[in-house]
Amino acid sequence: MNEMQAKDEIRLIQEMIEKTRKITAGSWMFFLVWGIVAILGVAGMYVLVLIEQYSWIWLNWVVFMGIGVVFSIVYGKKHEKQQGARTYPTIATAHVCFACGMAFFLVGFIFPLLKLYAWGLIAVFISLIAGILAFTLGGIYEWNLLKWCGVLWWLGAIGMVFIHENYRALLFVPLLLIGYIMPALVLQSMYHKQSD
Amino acid sequence: MQSEKFGQLDPIIHSRIRLAVLSILISVKEASFNYLKETIGTTDGNLSASLSKLEEAGYISINKTFKGKKPLTTCRISEKGRKAFSAYLKTLETYVSFKK
Repeated sequence: MNEMQAKDEIRLIQEMIEKTRKITAGSWMFFLVWGIVAILGVAGMYVLVLIEQYSWIWLNWVVFMGIGVVFSIVYGKKHEKQQGARTYPTIATAHVCFACGMAFFLVGFIFPLLKLYAWGLIAVFISLIAGILAFTLGGIYEWNLLKWCGVLWWLGAIGMVFIHENYRALLFVPLLLIGYIMPALVLQSMYHKQSD
Repeated sequence: MQSEKFGQLDPIIHSRIRLAVLSILISVKEASFNYLKETIGTTDGNLSASLSKLEEAGYISINKTFKGKKPLTTCRISEKGRKAFSAYLKTLETYVSFKK
């Protein structure tokens, strides 16, 4: 073994580790679909508020969140099968997403039904959890952009306090565009670059 | 003279395919046989032989199951494998940095 061969081996190790990173970047589809589903949910809710059909808002969210959950399960299984390997970041991501999903469900449906707080506060709590999700994923992926998206969600939660409760959820649209759709597009571009 | 200055490389890992296998397994929880084959770009036979050697040394564990009707072979690195890989890297570094 000489220095040249040693460098060759180190290059091989780096190349193999880089290839496993492609699996992490492949999660862009989850961000994109959840971003779109949530924007559609907000739009649906806004329409229901405009026509004063408040009692149907829960169904609007059940439908859109249901679409997101079904997609996550089906695509997640297909994605895992295609990749053939489970990285530690993808395992951590799945756990964080499940934990935050449960928190969204409790905060958005169960606690308001139990009348623990007013419906108008849901958007604020959802923003807080969305911030935790983005910031934690940013930490797992070692991706500062996503961490800043988390901070943005928290600032959004503060901003919502000063907006009339009927229009609070509208602030979700720019937050979702910046906090979910934008990272999805960046991840997609990273994934395709790694595939080339 | 040289062998005194340079560390001794682990002969189990000192092969292109086996080194590639451990490099992948060190960064994932588990990987399927097909994933390893495609990522490394080798043949079934060569990979099988390399995996057997790593398993015999206790560096990896191989699990053979069925997913539906298809056989699924997955590999994981063991604690012994992690330590061996880390020691191998340290030894490699001595080859690179020695001539600086």
